[in-house]
Amino acid sequence: MVSETPSRFMNRSGDASIAREKNGENAEIFISPRFKSAAALAGWDEEDLIIASFVVEDTPERSSSKRRRRSNLLFKSSTPPSSGSLRRKQRVQQSSIRLPVVDLDKVIRHEEERSAEKKKKKREIEEKRIGNDEKKLSEQNSDSVVLPCIDKLRDELSCAICLEICFEPSTTTCGHSFCKKCLRSAADKCGRKCPKCRQLIGNGRYCTVNTVLWNTIQLLFPKEVEAQRAASVNLKGKETPSPRNPPNQRLRSRNRETAAFEDRVQREDLSRLLVSEERSERRRRGGSMRLDQDRDAALALRLQRQEFASAFGATTATSSSSASNLSLARANLRAMASRAVRR
Amino acid sequence: MMTPGGSGRLRPLPTAMYAGYSGTASSWVAKTSVSASGKRIQREMAELNVNPPPDCSAGPKGDNLYHWIATIIGPLGTSYEGGIFFLDIIFPSDYPFKPPKVVFKTRIYHCNVDTAGNLSVEILRDSWSPALTITKVLQAIRSIFLKPEPYSPTLPVIARLYLSDREKHDEVAKEWTLRFAK
Repeated sequence: MVSETPSRFMNRSGDASIAREKNGENAEIFISPRFKSAAALAGWDEEDLIIASFVVEDTPERSSSKRRRRSNLLFKSSTPPSSGSLRRKQRVQQSSIRLPVVDLDKVIRHEEERSAEKKKKKREIEEKRIGNDEKKLSEQNSDSVVLPCIDKLRDELSCAICLEICFEPSTTTCGHSFCKKCLRSAADKCGRKCPKCRQLIGNGRYCTVNTVLWNTIQLLFPKEVEAQRAASVNLKGKETPSPRNPPNQRLRSRNRETAAFEDRVQREDLSRLLVSEERSERRRRGGSMRLDQDRDAALALRLQRQEFASAFGATTATSSSSASNLSLARANLRAMASRAVRR
Repeated sequence: MMTPGGSGRLRPLPTAMYAGYSGTASSWVAKTSVSASGKRIQREMAELNVNPPPDCSAGPKGDNLYHWIATIIGPLGTSYEGGIFFLDIIFPSDYPFKPPKVVFKTRIYHCNVDTAGNLSVEILRDSWSPALTITKVLQAIRSIFLKPEPYSPTLPVIARLYLSDREKHDEVAKEWTLRFAK
C-alpha cells in the first residue's frame, strides 16, 4: 500500500487530466467516504473534491495522516464492518452535521482523535471482551433500575413453586421452568406432572439444569441468586454435614463427647467451605461472574476466621484443634531452642 | 390461635392443627430460619397486598403465618351481591405441595358449599398444583359465585333446585346473603 502512493503522486505531477480521470474512476477508494460526505454537505462537486484531495495530499503532515487514514480505510473495507466502525461512522456523520462549514483542518484532527480513542477502546475490548462485557452487564443490572422491564423479567424468571427467582432452573418437556429442587419435590409429592400445565414429566429429565436460563438469571439477578445460594449452603451445612472427614485423629485421650461435637462443628464448616469452593470453581470454569468469586472468597475467609475463632475461643483443654496447634507451637519452640543451644 | 410466647416470631403450624400432615423431619431448622413454605407464604402475602384480586382480600389471622382469614365480596349481578363472606385458610406445613384447606365461615346458599363450609372445588383437592397460589384459589372461589357448578355439588338439593328452578334458587340465595353475610 505504501509503495502505491508515490506512483500516484508521480502520475499527478505529470498530467493533471489523466490523474483526474484515474482518480475519478476510483474515487471511492481514493477519497474517503467521510470526507466525501462532508464535502457533499458543503455543496462541493466531484471536481472540487479531487482538487481538495490534492491540496490535502500536498501538505506534508496532513498527507501522512491522510495516507494512514486511507490505509486504514482500505484495511477496513476488506474486513466486515464491526460495530465499532459502524459507531464511528455514525459519530463522524453527526460531527459533520454539527459542522456545516467544513473546516478540513478541524475535521481531520477531530477524526484523528476519535479514531485514536476508538482504537484504544477497541483494543481494550478485544483484550478482555467477555469478562468486561459480563462485568458491565452485571454492573448495569445490579442496581436493577436500568432496565425498565426488570419487574416483568423478575416475574418471568421466578419459579412458580417457591415464587423466588429460579435457582438452577430446570425445564420440563412442556417448556416450563422451575427451580431444580422445587420441581423435584413437586414431582415427588404431587406426581410427575408439570405444575403449570399438568403434562407428564419425562423420566429424570427434570434433573438437568437449563444452562442458558441459569446463566441469564445469574447475570440479571446476582443479588437474589447469591442470597438463595447462601441460604441453601446454610441449610446444607446444618442438615447434612458432608461425609468427608478431615484428618483429625489426634483426639484419642480427649473427652469423647466434646471431641465429637468439635469434630462435627469443624466438619460442617469444612463442608460449607467445600461447597462454596466447588461453586466458585465451577463458575470459574464457566468463565463468568468475577464478582461472585470475590463474594465466595469473602465467605470462605469469614468461615475460616469463624473456625479459627471457635477453635481458640473454646476452652483450650477440650478443643482438639487448639491443643494440636499448641503442641505444634511447643514443638516449634523446642526446635528453635535446640538450634540455639547447638550454636 | 395466638401461640404463647411466640411474639413476632413466625412459627410453623403445630401438626395437631392440621391432622393428616405430619411435620417434616427438619422442623427444628424452622426455629432459626423460615422454612420454604413460610417463605412462600410470605411472598404470597406481599403479592396479595400489592395487587389483590377483585372483591377479595386475605391475610394472616394472628401471628401465625399458616392460618389466614380471607374475605370475598359477593360479585355484582349475582344473588350474593353485597354480601361479605369470610373464609378460613389453613396452610399445611408442606405447602405448596399440598393444597391449603379453605372453609367458609359465613353461611352461604350455594350448591358447592356444604353446611360446614367445605368447598367442592377441584383445585383444592385432586387437581391441586404447587404452581397455584392463594390469589388463584380466591379467584376460583369467586368464580363459583358467578357460575355455580351444579354437576359436582356438595349439596345436591341446591344443585337440583338451581337446575330446575333458577329463580327460586336465586331468591333463596339472596335471602341467605341478606341474613348471614351483611
